[in-house]
Amino acid sequence: MHLLPLVLYAAAAAAYVAHFAWRDARTGRLATGTLGAGVLAHTFVIGMQTMEAGHAPLVGTSAAISAFVWMLGLSYLYVELTSDERSMGMFVALLMVLLDVIPALDPAITPRPPLLQSPLFTIHIVSVLFAYASFALAFVLGLTYVLLFKEIKAKQLGFFYMRLPSLQALDVMNARAVTVGWLCLTLGVAVGGIWATQVQASPDPRAQAMSVTDPKILVALVSWAVYSFAVVARRAAGWSARRAAYLSAIAFVLVLLNFVPIGYFLTKSHNF
Amino acid sequence: MRLFAIGLSHRTAPVDLRECVDFARGGVDVALSALASRGVGPEVVVLSTCNRAEIYAVGDSDATAERVGRFFSEYHNVPHARVAEHLYLRRGTEAARHLFRVAAGLDSLVVGEPQILGQVKAAYSTASDLHYTGALTNRLFHSAFAAGKRVRTETGLGEGAVSVSYAAISLAKKIFGHLKGRSVLILGAGEMAKLTGVHLQAQQVKAIAIASRTFSTAQNLASTLGGRAVPWEALDDALAEADIVITATGAAEVVLSRTRLEDAMRPRRNRPIFIIDIALPRDVEPAAGNLDQVFLYNIDDLQSIVQENLARRGGELRRAEAIVEEEVARFTSWMQSREVVPTVVALRQRFEAIRQGELARLEPKMAGLQPEARARIDEITRLIVEKLLLTPTEQLKALNDETTVVAYADALNKLFSLTARDSAPVIPDAPGDEGKDRTDATPSPGSRAGT
Repeated sequence: MHLLPLVLYAAAAAAYVAHFAWRDARTGRLATGTLGAGVLAHTFVIGMQTMEAGHAPLVGTSAAISAFVWMLGLSYLYVELTSDERSMGMFVALLMVLLDVIPALDPAITPRPPLLQSPLFTIHIVSVLFAYASFALAFVLGLTYVLLFKEIKAKQLGFFYMRLPSLQALDVMNARAVTVGWLCLTLGVAVGGIWATQVQASPDPRAQAMSVTDPKILVALVSWAVYSFAVVARRAAGWSARRAAYLSAIAFVLVLLNFVPIGYFLTKSHNF
Repeated sequence: MRLFAIGLSHRTAPVDLRECVDFARGGVDVALSALASRGVGPEVVVLSTCNRAEIYAVGDSDATAERVGRFFSEYHNVPHARVAEHLYLRRGTEAARHLFRVAAGLDSLVVGEPQILGQVKAAYSTASDLHYTGALTNRLFHSAFAAGKRVRTETGLGEGAVSVSYAAISLAKKIFGHLKGRSVLILGAGEMAKLTGVHLQAQQVKAIAIASRTFSTAQNLASTLGGRAVPWEALDDALAEADIVITATGAAEVVLSRTRLEDAMRPRRNRPIFIIDIALPRDVEPAAGNLDQVFLYNIDDLQSIVQENLARRGGELRRAEAIVEEEVARFTSWMQSREVVPTVVALRQRFEAIRQGELARLEPKMAGLQPEARARIDEITRLIVEKLLLTPTEQLKALNDETTVVAYADALNKLFSLTARDSAPVIPDAPGDEGKDRTDATPSPGSRAGT
């Protein structure tokens, strides 16, 4: 069932690539429409899973990735519709396809263990995932900023110069995405911390593993520190837009690392 | 009815003559009514821009074109001999192709410039509002808009700046988004500085500051540009504020060194600065361009961008021409299917007239027949005529080349002495025996006649 959104995302990615290469307005509208249809289908899938399981399908890494892809799609569509700027769609849609392969291959819904039956769990995971979606957008915006910046500096005005919005626009959107992401991550980490102290008495071994030394928690805290630095460096230290762009592009690698390999293989506290 | 395009443009006429025959000066509406009063029309459109003056008209013969050609000199009180040698005349498909190329910007001085499509639209809507357009011109101009729009959206012809000042402004926009609210600093008060200042002013920048070694020349330029003069000593403060800096001093040595700019960037907290060095020798040390948020372009950089854009446009030309040809083919086939219609109608009327004439002539012989038999005779003769005309009609409608259409129409006109525009049937003096033969004929079974 999860194949339909994946197919639609892949079609949207192809259309965004074609739109980026040839800048045909009709292909652009087609890309947006297909992505919208993909998000809609994905919403339906998540809705069905919720009905089936009796709770939101947020348990387990696959389900979390699925929810993340869905939120990224929604946030990107929001940005595209408000900024009337389609050139970032190619990068976002490709990232979505890449990640959505995981829940499509592993669509089973993990039953919710007693440990996670808390409203704090939903707040924790939704805010963290939304933070990651914002960071993904910041990553794409930072990447495109660097590409355009290099072209302008090298005085070789070509491919990206013709296709991307202004440096200023990319920088402003990047700053906004990082700030929103940082706020959500702060909330998610704080709620997670409070909740972890509440479940200390639980017999579940994962509750016992909830400590700063667990790789997942550690890397999340490092990410939070890096993004905090990004926010402060830009606002207080007057970091240049180029450095901020680089940082937001590189920091997302940390997020992805934490999300997929660590989430699957290394963590002892978050392996649901 | 044929389509004519008569006019002159930057390709055929010098600028002083183009200025003389500018229809826009006295109002295109006035020119249109003057044309109508000279018997040009009912369909006529006047296109007048600073690079061309053209009249698109629909008429029966080249006499219309001749009248329009004379109109250029008569209306503007210019000796006809002076205008005539610069005028071009295009007929039918050629006229359509010309207009489509004009609308697509292929005939413009700067190939691919986008303004011309708007000017063509304005010319059409002026004529249309005053009811000077009809079926042919409506279709012609809407096809031209389609061709122009397709060229703009499907090719990169209109892309990329093709003048140095436009290249600078589009770069500034790529860095800052829009230029509203941005402040500009101009170093130097010479002619180049002034020209660039005027261009930037048109972009609604927030403030223009001018600094020059001699304060009074800075003040002079500041008053013409509506800006503010900055004393040379306060240059560093002005640098800290400016977003866009134009340097055009006549100084022999470097004015803005890398270290000076590095110092200026600190209070700016890495706000980007775009420096355009149009001075020769250079005013800005090239190494300053390596600073993080300093975007430094000199006149040669801008020049080479312009050259690249021009070269790129050349590559897109072929695609644009192909689009125009597609639209021309589409329009032409419509026009031709329309052109044969009067001939087909005249042919049918002619045959019907012969039939009616024969029936009337044979009336005395049929007086004794039953009404039913008379009705049968009427039906049979009608079917014969239908069947005779079926193949020629189909063949005529299938013609797809203008000269053949005209040749066939001429031949039919002569063979059947048709007058295409005169719908009144001509009753011929047909020989009696021939008429008898026709009434005796019966349609073959399974005939498609009458369908």
